[in-house]
Amino acid sequence: MAVVVAEVPGSVSVRARARSHPLELRIGIGLISAVVLACLLIPMVNSTDPNALVGLPLQPPSAEHLFGTDSLGRDVFIRVFHAGRVDIALAALGVIVPLVGGTVIGTVIGASRSRIVDAVAMRVTDGVIAFPFVVLTLVIVLVLGTDIQIPPLPAGSPAILAAVWLVNWTIYARLARARTHVLRQEDFIAATRLLGFSQIRIVARHLLPSVWPTTATYAVADALLLISLIAAMPFLGAGIQPPTPEWGSIMYDGRGVLAQAWWISLTTAGVVLVLGVGVMMVVDSLVSAPRRARLL
Amino acid sequence: MTFIRTLAGRALQIAVVAFFVTAGTSILVRIVPGDPARTILGDKASPEALLALREELGLEVPLHEQVALSLAKLLQGDLGTSFAHRGQEVMSLIGPSLGVTASLAAVAIAFSLVGGVTVGMWLALVRRPESDLMGRLVITLLLALPSFMAGLILLYALSLRLGLAPAGGWAGSWPANAQYIWLPALALAMYLGSLIARTVRQAALDTIGQSFVQAARTRGVPRVRIVFTHILPNAVLPVIPLVGFNAGVLVGGAVTVEAIFALPGLGAQLLQAMSTRDLPVVQGIALITALAIVVFNLLADVLNIAADPRLRRSH
Repeated sequence: MAVVVAEVPGSVSVRARARSHPLELRIGIGLISAVVLACLLIPMVNSTDPNALVGLPLQPPSAEHLFGTDSLGRDVFIRVFHAGRVDIALAALGVIVPLVGGTVIGTVIGASRSRIVDAVAMRVTDGVIAFPFVVLTLVIVLVLGTDIQIPPLPAGSPAILAAVWLVNWTIYARLARARTHVLRQEDFIAATRLLGFSQIRIVARHLLPSVWPTTATYAVADALLLISLIAAMPFLGAGIQPPTPEWGSIMYDGRGVLAQAWWISLTTAGVVLVLGVGVMMVVDSLVSAPRRARLL
Repeated sequence: MTFIRTLAGRALQIAVVAFFVTAGTSILVRIVPGDPARTILGDKASPEALLALREELGLEVPLHEQVALSLAKLLQGDLGTSFAHRGQEVMSLIGPSLGVTASLAAVAIAFSLVGGVTVGMWLALVRRPESDLMGRLVITLLLALPSFMAGLILLYALSLRLGLAPAGGWAGSWPANAQYIWLPALALAMYLGSLIARTVRQAALDTIGQSFVQAARTRGVPRVRIVFTHILPNAVLPVIPLVGFNAGVLVGGAVTVEAIFALPGLGAQLLQAMSTRDLPVVQGIALITALAIVVFNLLADVLNIAADPRLRRSH
């Protein structure tokens, strides 16, 4: 075992890390695009209905059905990429609203010089963040039930979206507030105050443009968290209702027959994992990129 | 000083959490359709019986009074009695499933600590580019893998294919539970373990670069000693707040992994309580998990201050 104990502080590793970032970012974006494009194109190219019974149940993967068939005889390959549309669209919807809302709220709180506003807002967000996210959303989803119908959203999704919107803005608000506090020390914000700009103008024109890159970076990671939450819901008795194909419900159906038909759960998990690794790589490169820029 | 302030901050957090959970669940159950009294008594119950039961359950008083009453009881350590299982204390109902979830989380933390610290230190010390690349790839892969999916994969590979563990279930008594718990705990440890490995690796590399390590080397201190007395303590230090910070993720993951392995934990109980509109049990579970996380964080704070003398000297 070659133990290298002493080394010039960070010399090799920092440079190696800096070099690997654009590559990491590119591979990450490549993986995400591959999954997203597959979800867009495969249902367009192959017009098989995701709920059509195309063959015998529980057939292993073959040239005809790449991911095999499920317990009803539906094509898992077709279902997985139809499901991707649902999961990715819901994750996007679930991220954008808290991202925008939380960023604005957090920036306003951060810019406000009232200590009471700040203290109250922080205790509220503390309370929400202290909560296990899955348990909290699960309670809300179960209470709201699956009866609420808002077309064109699939049955079961309004409750999930409501729960996520209700809970998740707090994290963005915390991030935005912290970033605003840093920005407030900067000369250009001090200048806006000396110029007598209104609070609204300072927030909208000067603070938000510098705050949102921070929260948007978190949103990328959050989208992945959300996809795994949506996909976990069927295992907890909630989530998108069948027959709409959804990654979680496909894996849940596959769980029951995992011993005979591994392909239902595990091919789906594989596709989700490719997307997840792509997101992780993008997040890793985004998170360390600003740090590098500040050093230079 | 630091200690007292930390304690006070967490105490305040506990109060805020208790208030939000109690008020939140009360409001939620009121605004959604479905009468707990009707669920208990069935469709044929007379209006008088329903009203009597609603009064008994505290659903006829205004919302703010209901919340105040629940909070007052909570101060006495009373979570109330179940709607669905009449006369049963919520705490005694939740107890067993809380035990399942807590032991799952505890075993998972133990696995993550042992595995994460070992792998992290190894990656930092063996500076071969190929092992470094492999390590980073595997860590990225595991961080991208939701706990329940890790559970599915492990269940298939280790339990159904290799037969190393039962495919789910629970013995109900120790040490018989051990054979049921290790696989779900391993699934749950994948995420936290890789997070720890990544943090330990970085912290160890940072420490190796510092002058006191080079000084020790120049003095001729044996390498094993440098690794264990100089590098390891510094590399492990950031793990304490990391685990504390991820307590919520861990509990959430535990609930989903339990579902994969059919463990009778808090997730299953929450589901059952919701389907019978058993408000006190839902409230109790929400409250217990939230408080457990705050207390867990408090523990991490205290441990951190105890382990790092620099934090005590700052005042």
